[in-house]
Amino acid sequence: MIASLLVWLLQDFMQVLAMGIMLVPEFFLLVVLYKLISGPLVSVRIAGWIWFAFLGGVLWDLRWAASPGMGGLINVLALVLVYWVWDRTPAGGRSALLFAALASCAHFLSGIARYVAWAVPSQAALRLFAIQQLLAVPVLVGLCMIYAFKVPQTHV
Amino acid sequence: MVSKLNPILVNTLLAFFCGLLLLWFSFAFPGVTQRMVDLSGAVLHTLELPAQELRLLVQATGNWIMERKSLQDRNRELELENLTLRTVLQRATAPTPPPDSAVGMIVARVTLRYPDAWWKEIRIDKGLNQGVMVGAPALSDGFIIGRVVRAGGDYSWVELVTSASFLLAAVVDDTWDLGVINGDDMGNIWLLYTPPEVEFTRGMVVSTALVGDYLPPGIPIGNIWSQGETRDGFMPQKIVSGAHLTQLYNVQILGNGAESAPRIPK
Repeated sequence: MIASLLVWLLQDFMQVLAMGIMLVPEFFLLVVLYKLISGPLVSVRIAGWIWFAFLGGVLWDLRWAASPGMGGLINVLALVLVYWVWDRTPAGGRSALLFAALASCAHFLSGIARYVAWAVPSQAALRLFAIQQLLAVPVLVGLCMIYAFKVPQTHV
Repeated sequence: MVSKLNPILVNTLLAFFCGLLLLWFSFAFPGVTQRMVDLSGAVLHTLELPAQELRLLVQATGNWIMERKSLQDRNRELELENLTLRTVLQRATAPTPPPDSAVGMIVARVTLRYPDAWWKEIRIDKGLNQGVMVGAPALSDGFIIGRVVRAGGDYSWVELVTSASFLLAAVVDDTWDLGVINGDDMGNIWLLYTPPEVEFTRGMVVSTALVGDYLPPGIPIGNIWSQGETRDGFMPQKIVSGAHLTQLYNVQILGNGAESAPRIPK
């Protein structure tokens, strides 16, 4: 969780740098998703990640969106959906590719929910949204590579 | 499976409930939410300081590469000097004795601008401790861009001229016609209540008027761009701000003396 906390701070750090220029991808959500699926799917552990994602979202709202709760809800929803699919996938099918698909879907849903909730619909806002999604790709690839090389040796 | 799902389901529902409760709370008690926002901003301020410094460094480097930085700084200095001189001149010719407090410019950095309130307000990193007062005008490039509406110890919130709730008495310098500056939350600025019989032309300068209690007169706001539709016997004028409202990184706050600045006829 400390690593995820640091990623939250890194995301905040990057958003300060990019304020007024672009929206930083949801690195925190992606890392939380990775942490969730890369460990044993134990109820207590999953519940811990649910609350951690929720608090991360609330804190992000307080810092950047002024309506606390929305980000927490989005994070929890994304996390639970990913868990739900992952849990129902046979161990043999839990590949890095599946993680990539789930994480990118979660990131896309998170982005689109925030776009619909807060942004004034315009070409500029849509461009910001598209850039945010594109910038998440390298992080996704990185996490998938880590999963592909590390996790199968320990959990499958 | 059921025993495994249940705690997760319960925690998910609890988290959802808490999220909805927080969301409702933020709309029901905006004052408390604002305090929480300010508190989180204050807590994270120190951690974000390197990012802010780095951001400034990157900006400065970019400017240096384009050989514009020195020109921009010089231009800003001249505008500040111009504004200060204008204020001093107004004070010198004022019919009433000038106040003792000196007008000072406080340079502040923009630390927050919500996407959903992009044209409404910004937060800056200077507050009461640095001499910022509620009601003081905020300037950028020598043009007024808003005024301070809330101030904390080391931060303040500035309502932008493009905000729909922003109202400011203004005068067209060339015709001496008075009006009220108002935004629309969409980036436009309007000069309301101007008479339709007067011919306003594009480029005419609009400045703060004498009737404001907090703002000194004569601070430029922008230029007339076009006419709106006549309504209730008035013809609103669309104003183009002289400042780059889409890219606000630094602003200047008129410090001590803003409230008591002399009001004199032109």
